[in-house]
Amino acid sequence: MFYREAGQFKTSYSADQAIFPIRQDRLGLLLLGLVAVFAVPALANNYFLETIFVPFLVFAMAALGLNLLTGYCGQLSLGTGGFMACGAFFSFKLATAFPELHIVVVFLLAGLGTAGVGVLFGLPSLRIKGFYLAVATLAAQFFLVWMFNKFNWWTNYSPSGVISAPPREIIPGFFVTGNEASPAAKYVFLLIFVAVLALIAKNLVRSRTGRSWMAIRDMDIAAEIIGIRPLWAKLSAFAVSSFYIGISGALWAFVYTGSVEALAFQIDRSFQVLFMVIIGGLGSILGSFLGAAFIVLLPILLNNAPAALGIPLKVELISHLEFMIFGALIIFFLIVEPHGLARLWQIGKEKLRLWPFPY
Amino acid sequence: MYGDKHIGDTLLKVDNITLAFGGVKALTDISFEIREHEILAIIGPNGAGKTSMLNVINGFYHPQQGRIMFRGAERKAMRPHLAAKQGIARTFQNVALFKGMSTLDNIMTGRVLKMKSNLFQQAIYWGANQREEIEHREVVEKIIDFLEIEAIRKTPVGRLPYGLQKRVELARALAMEPDLLLLDEPMAGMNVEEKEDMCRFILDVNDEFGTTIALIEHDMGVVMDISDRVVVLDYGRKLADGSPDEVRANQDVIDAYLGVSH
Ligand SMILES: Nc1ncnc2c1ncn2[C@@H]1O[C@H](COP(=O)(O)OP(=O)(O)OP(=O)(O)O)[C@@H](O)[C@H]1O
Ligand SMILES: [Mg+2]
Repeated sequence: MFYREAGQFKTSYSADQAIFPIRQDRLGLLLLGLVAVFAVPALANNYFLETIFVPFLVFAMAALGLNLLTGYCGQLSLGTGGFMACGAFFSFKLATAFPELHIVVVFLLAGLGTAGVGVLFGLPSLRIKGFYLAVATLAAQFFLVWMFNKFNWWTNYSPSGVISAPPREIIPGFFVTGNEASPAAKYVFLLIFVAVLALIAKNLVRSRTGRSWMAIRDMDIAAEIIGIRPLWAKLSAFAVSSFYIGISGALWAFVYTGSVEALAFQIDRSFQVLFMVIIGGLGSILGSFLGAAFIVLLPILLNNAPAALGIPLKVELISHLEFMIFGALIIFFLIVEPHGLARLWQIGKEKLRLWPFPY
Repeated sequence: MYGDKHIGDTLLKVDNITLAFGGVKALTDISFEIREHEILAIIGPNGAGKTSMLNVINGFYHPQQGRIMFRGAERKAMRPHLAAKQGIARTFQNVALFKGMSTLDNIMTGRVLKMKSNLFQQAIYWGANQREEIEHREVVEKIIDFLEIEAIRKTPVGRLPYGLQKRVELARALAMEPDLLLLDEPMAGMNVEEKEDMCRFILDVNDEFGTTIALIEHDMGVVMDISDRVVVLDYGRKLADGSPDEVRANQDVIDAYLGVSH
């Protein structure tokens, strides 16, 4: 009843092609944006910002990147961790070699570098598909982590193999990395940065490039007879996806944790991001955020809820529970609802349009 | 408009094509031509090599022998996307739509070769890319009107009944504004009414846009009605080639193919 587009007629194709064609969606998003920018940093304490909001945004970025490749272009990748490591170490080398470079430029350049690496490891996708491609990206994963671990040039010869993000300001006096950066500053910076990149992703998927990716995903033979070059479509997906994932790795190292070693980006990181994409919804920008939120929140809920309800659970049991719930959900979503939470959200909205009338 | 249809020069010429899969010869020494603005039907029993012939024209299969001339020039090492660039569109025997996309997006994808904005412009969206999207949307809407599929614009194609899926596939091919349209059994699995609609659309496309059409069809009634010329294949060989009446009178064809249904 309240969520209705009734009476909102589109009188031009530009209105029909608008990014959020329904007025309630636009209002909702505006409200969400206002709450996110003003209310959250004002109300949430540092603990919540650092353990929930900041990692959520960093993971959302990684999930977004993988979703472009796997959800939109249909190319399965297990190399996410390796590409995140690229972003982290590229930005570390850049930031320390060129201290005067603005931090956002560092992140973008690190993303571009990762895009190049992504294209290189995406080349096998021209010949192989599905499971075999996943194995090839696995090779990227192991090779990259090994390389960053093995050659301590990447860490500026730090004996521990750990890199620490140098302090950097986004605007003078407003630190977003290093010890002086406040959680609220980090959060607001991430929020805006991730929102802009999400908007760009949305623009790409509703343009020619995005349609080419989806065409390759859905029916590559038909895509080719239309004139889409599989080479271009797949490699551009690898490039754009790796760009996003590389930036998420840089944000992980610089903004979220502040210091990191190559082993933080091992294969379990790849799976973690893949699970976000599957649970959130393959082929959905919104789903990337929902999946990231879910996977960041679930362990925190499991750790706190039983105690709050007065049910004492052992720590090991909780971590086992986490795995079991993830496993069950992934099987559920893969079999029953491959479009994930995003699809459930959409079904909810469709129901709301009709509510309270059943038809 | 093409008030009275003028069949022109040779658009595509197939010369002594031989295609084999291991020991199986799918096509043996096939030659024929497709003339501008005509509707050519390719008929033959199951396994005759009709689909294989289209796949050769499309660049999916590479024949062991023979050559193909398109607009007077020989095509070398053809890949499907290059064929598309030259103006050859195609629909498939088993519908090959993009299942995860809406009708509109499927047809918009057919415009891919006509769109020019680069990755950066698409990322920004506003400006050049938006103008281009709207411009192509207008063309696509005309095709949607033409094929009478306005009501299913926003429907994911996976949810459409088979007959409509075939129509959307035709729409996607038309969005390419092809010079040569290859249709592989466009009416297979349709009821009489849907077949009549499809026949009308094929004739209209040929008539209004002057598009040259080569189609494979099993329904002899349809073939005799709508085609200007017929090529008959049997076991990978060409049996006959001529007007519907000539083909109908050809003794080889009667024995090998039409004879089956008597
Ligand atoms: N990719 C392939 N690999 C091996 N054999 C093939 C291949 N494609 C076609 N053939 C063989 O070539 C022959 C011709 O097949 P084709 O699909 O062209 O027939 P068709 O005339 O389209 O038949 P139908 O009316 O059943 O669609 C068949 O014997 C088929 O098995
Ligand atoms: Mg066939």
